[in-house]
Amino acid sequence: MPIVILLLMLCLPGMTWAGWLWGDDEPEQRVRVVEPFVVWRTGPAVGYPVFHSSEKGEWLTLLQRKTGWMKVRDKKGREGWVAVAAIAQTQDATGENVNLSVPDMKAFSDRKFEAGILMGEFEGSPVTAGYGGYWFTPNLAAELWGSQVLGSASEILMVNANIVHQPFPHWRVSPYFTLGVGHIWVDPKATLAVPEERDNTVGHAGLGLRAYITERYFIRAEFKDYKVFTSRSTNEEATEWKIGLSIFF
Amino acid sequence: MENRTKHLFLTGFCLAQVMAFAPQVFAQERDDWPLIEPDVKPVPVNEALIDTENFEIGAFLGVINIEDFESSFVYGGKLTYHLSESFFFEAGIGFAEGGQTSFENLAGNVQVLTDSEREYRYYNINLGYNLLPGQAFLSENYAFNTNFYLIAGAGATEFGGDTRFTVNAGAGYQVLLTDSLAIDLGVRQHFYRIDVVGAEKTSMNTEIRTGLSVFF
Repeated sequence: MPIVILLLMLCLPGMTWAGWLWGDDEPEQRVRVVEPFVVWRTGPAVGYPVFHSSEKGEWLTLLQRKTGWMKVRDKKGREGWVAVAAIAQTQDATGENVNLSVPDMKAFSDRKFEAGILMGEFEGSPVTAGYGGYWFTPNLAAELWGSQVLGSASEILMVNANIVHQPFPHWRVSPYFTLGVGHIWVDPKATLAVPEERDNTVGHAGLGLRAYITERYFIRAEFKDYKVFTSRSTNEEATEWKIGLSIFF
Repeated sequence: MENRTKHLFLTGFCLAQVMAFAPQVFAQERDDWPLIEPDVKPVPVNEALIDTENFEIGAFLGVINIEDFESSFVYGGKLTYHLSESFFFEAGIGFAEGGQTSFENLAGNVQVLTDSEREYRYYNINLGYNLLPGQAFLSENYAFNTNFYLIAGAGATEFGGDTRFTVNAGAGYQVLLTDSLAIDLGVRQHFYRIDVVGAEKTSMNTEIRTGLSVFF
């Protein structure tokens, strides 16, 4: 069964080939070189060799983009990769500089969605967590988390929802506070004497830090304090820290 | 006297020239009006129409050596997001099945694990780095872009009745057949703590795999 899903997954990008199959009639995106020249590389990285250059006045068709590189074609049909920074200095048919959005600090401050993966420790055991968040205002967001804790005695799964408040949205390194609720499933290891599954509601509060790096990504680190509401006479408490990388849109 | 004649002659000549040209200049301006007004406006480049290919999805198969449980066929999938030309994020899953321990083989009718406990599944989330981008040449006609990358991360392995925190690290060589299609040859080492056969120890599982991926 998993192999079928994998094969289907592999076919998924085929949808992007549909345009090639049916022939798309989108207008060509063309730019004119205004700097003395731009260099072409065989691949989308500075490590690939330069094999060609276009002079001032030549028209290039923009084909596709990979990270900071643009695949271009000239009027003789040659294809190669030019840095997006160099494309940003060309002009389009209107005679204006090409309008390419380069995600920067301002885009980071104005982000609507973010998602990321963090790793750390939950009560001394390794935790892996993924999340997605939506910003209602520059200060307030809602987030949904899924975490897996793999301890020596048990496996814990957690689903959490929390609100985030960041007092200084325009800072490059921006602190924030969280408050939320969730559910925890504890599955003790099979080798333990009395394995007993249990699940509880949790409440949590935390504080953390986002640090914008470049492009679309930032580092996120946080500390959370969990209160596990058990059916026994006392509630349990757990602390967690984690750090990871996020992207925003 | 000669100068004066020259002056008169030249002035007259210049005036005549100006008068002769002037109507032509005006006429030319009128000729410039196009007979048909072109209906085409220059279109600015629309970034949304340029395809971005920062994601990569792929499937792989290979052999994994599960410590104490023989080597088995492994297959799986991966989803990669390229953060920059150098760094990428990769999420992967893999499936295999553990074989017999040597103890089981020698002792005969003994089972350390049940069949369902022998199912080996893992997931991991990794950060990769394209250390050596380059080109490979196949005969004199073909050149392919290549990447030698290092990768490391963490995740979990489900084996022997439990899910175990697993760290993995490795390296790979990727050959881009086209800008959207790549083949990949890689080695990964998976580490986790296990206590299924005696005292708890670190299990080291080496995986050798080859895969196919597409960018989208």
